[in-house]
Amino acid sequence: MHFHQILLFIIHKINGQRSENAPYYLLKGKKSGQTIQDVTYFQLHAFFSILPQLLKEDYDAEVNKLFKSECIQLKNSLVYITEKGLEALPHDKEILFNGWQYRGREQLLWKRLDLVVQTLSQFHANEKKFVPNQKDIATQQFIRDFLIEHNFRQFNLNNDLKQEIVQLLENPSLNDLHRTLFVYRLSGYNKTGLTWEQLARYFQLTDMNTKIIFLECLHNMLDNISSERSPLLFNLAKDIHIDTPLTDSAFKTSQLFEKGYTMDEIAKIRKLKINTIEDHVIEIVSSNKKFPVSAFISKEQEEEILHLSTELQTKKLTLIKNRLPDVSYFQVRLALTKGEQNHG
Amino acid sequence: MDKLSGILQTRFGHTTFRAGQQEIIEQILDKKDVIAILPTGMGKSLLYQLPAYLMEGTVIIVSPLLSLMQDQVEQLKILGEKRVIAINSFLSFQEREIAIRHLANYKFIFTSPEMLQNEQFNLALRNLSIAYIVADEAHCISQWGFDFRPDYLRISNWLQSMKAVNVLALTATATGEVVEDIKKTLRMKTPFEYIHSLDRPAIAYETVEVENQQQKLKWILGRVTSSEGPGIIYTQSRKKTETYAALLREQGISVGFYHAKMEQGDRILIQQQFQQGQLEWICATNAFGMGIHKDNIRQIIHDHIPSSVAGYMQEVGRAARDGEQAIASLLYTTTDVEQTFYVAMQDFPEEQDIQIAYQPAYSEVEQAETTTRILAYWKERLSEQATIELFKEIKQKKWQDIQKFYTMLRNDTCLRQQLLQYFDQVLLEKPSYCCSKCKLDLAGILRKRTVENKFEENKNWKDRLNILLPSKYI
Repeated sequence: MHFHQILLFIIHKINGQRSENAPYYLLKGKKSGQTIQDVTYFQLHAFFSILPQLLKEDYDAEVNKLFKSECIQLKNSLVYITEKGLEALPHDKEILFNGWQYRGREQLLWKRLDLVVQTLSQFHANEKKFVPNQKDIATQQFIRDFLIEHNFRQFNLNNDLKQEIVQLLENPSLNDLHRTLFVYRLSGYNKTGLTWEQLARYFQLTDMNTKIIFLECLHNMLDNISSERSPLLFNLAKDIHIDTPLTDSAFKTSQLFEKGYTMDEIAKIRKLKINTIEDHVIEIVSSNKKFPVSAFISKEQEEEILHLSTELQTKKLTLIKNRLPDVSYFQVRLALTKGEQNHG
Repeated sequence: MDKLSGILQTRFGHTTFRAGQQEIIEQILDKKDVIAILPTGMGKSLLYQLPAYLMEGTVIIVSPLLSLMQDQVEQLKILGEKRVIAINSFLSFQEREIAIRHLANYKFIFTSPEMLQNEQFNLALRNLSIAYIVADEAHCISQWGFDFRPDYLRISNWLQSMKAVNVLALTATATGEVVEDIKKTLRMKTPFEYIHSLDRPAIAYETVEVENQQQKLKWILGRVTSSEGPGIIYTQSRKKTETYAALLREQGISVGFYHAKMEQGDRILIQQQFQQGQLEWICATNAFGMGIHKDNIRQIIHDHIPSSVAGYMQEVGRAARDGEQAIASLLYTTTDVEQTFYVAMQDFPEEQDIQIAYQPAYSEVEQAETTTRILAYWKERLSEQATIELFKEIKQKKWQDIQKFYTMLRNDTCLRQQLLQYFDQVLLEKPSYCCSKCKLDLAGILRKRTVENKFEENKNWKDRLNILLPSKYI
């Protein structure tokens, strides 16, 4: 997928309900209540936090291109996709990102793979003195332990690791562009990997799209790593998959809920505003549909809100809230979040 | 075989010392303070590495350039030394905690001047038995040095707080004035001074005055397509590194670009590609070169007047490490001197910045990071007026320096001789390929380009993976 396609896809989902900046915060992985709740409302988990380094100027430039080519338009500060935009949507492309799950931690796998391949390649050539591409101590220590644990002096490790990489790269969801970018980023004895600019030039892509396609590949590989079929990579992917994809603060709040505290008590204990705790509840519900919400909303209210949302074909809080004066904004958000969970 | 040569051979794999090395090492072992000035690539690192193996205790190396520190740690590890660590801002808080708690496990501890103010670190250091302290890139101590780091001046008080221990000051370039500053700051009484000639006879110098920027480009294209590298083209802007590279690539040259705005991973890859010969030429800003270990660089081209003679010597000094003939070419126009001054002054605090810095409310005013750091240092020591005067003086001196360099380039006197004179050294013997003012036979230096123009091969991921990890073919 290319950058503009990602933007079109997201804008299609939030069509007419958010401003043109909402995709930016989503891609950056902003940990605000609004962004996190949007992830669930609009089923955009795949894209959350996939471009944490994205600069606003680069984002604006791409959005402006979409405005210029009339793929999107603005009405009352809300962004809409046009007929032309709908046609340009990447219909045939599978979404390979899994941003909600990895949130940038996929880079850990990359760093480790880069270093382990470089090291094994150097050792195979009997050139044990080399400058490692990866400089951080944690990665170096991790790979040192990994190599010792797997008895790396044996020839097999080289081959086993290669087989595992190939098996993952041959996943039919990936294409040769993914595979080539991935392998040519790696370095080994007398073969240094290529920079983004070098790869982009070869494939006539922008640097940005090169990085995006590489990221798709990395996410897809991580999704398919299993302890049975790719035991080595499974070990290299340690600490990347986590059970609760909650922000630290939301996690603390959820622990207090588990101990039986009420929302008000938690706000007091944590010295946080009630709004913040509400944001946390939305985040917790986003990632755990079994989280009990009966303390905040009745079953009837929940159904009423969802019904209205379908009827009005909107997820705009104000529109729904105006028709149901007895419910709070928080309850509308909660119901919509729950609702998406049940559908998705 | 004596002890020194034994270690030289077993640890470092050399059979003989280079000029000066043995003398200096003997002084260190004798517990004397030492100042050593050696041109880049003359085996400076060995001076602080080798004595460590003949002495009890840890060696502390203070180095102001973080990227260089990283490289030095790697080089020691490559030599098989595992007891080495860099304690600096690259470490996470937790990593630093752990490292400081286990300080005694290390034989070599690299650190930055900024870290010397860390209480916890100092406490741990004081409990350590220290063999000697190394002040690397010592010219950065002097405000007259081209790369002045005010935080480095704090080393003076820090040394006083350490138990009596001798100091080794290392630098590649220092004028007499700078040497005096180093001695004073490092509290050296009667140090052993070793000053190696900064002359690099294998490097010929060439200056070319052209009319305009367009002609520089034409010259560079002509030179690079007709003669062999490997080489570096230094330019002043990031944009230009990319433009040059693109134009040369069109001519089939294998070339890359390098500047500080690229992400770290990519900078490492470009450096490696050049080192391993996958790239023949690099178009770079002055960010490139530190920690480059490549012996066979044949050409260095500057498309501008560098902002200091010392900086120029360092960049040029990356050529001909193998002792084979190389050439350094400098292209300039008559208006370049203003541009160079402008670039040199970019991060330099103006009177206005100083006034702001001395206001009581000054805390997070937006100023360049280096400016903030420099001013924070002087604010503790000088009045506002004195600081303003000081910076006026430094600025004036900088302008004179650049003018002086410009005159050196344009007059009729031998350039090699003038460059040495600048560092208060005398040229003893002129090599046969000296400089363009002494009549240079270019045909004898430049090797006619025989390298086949490279066009990129097709990329096949399976083939590549098999090359990286040879074993059963997939």
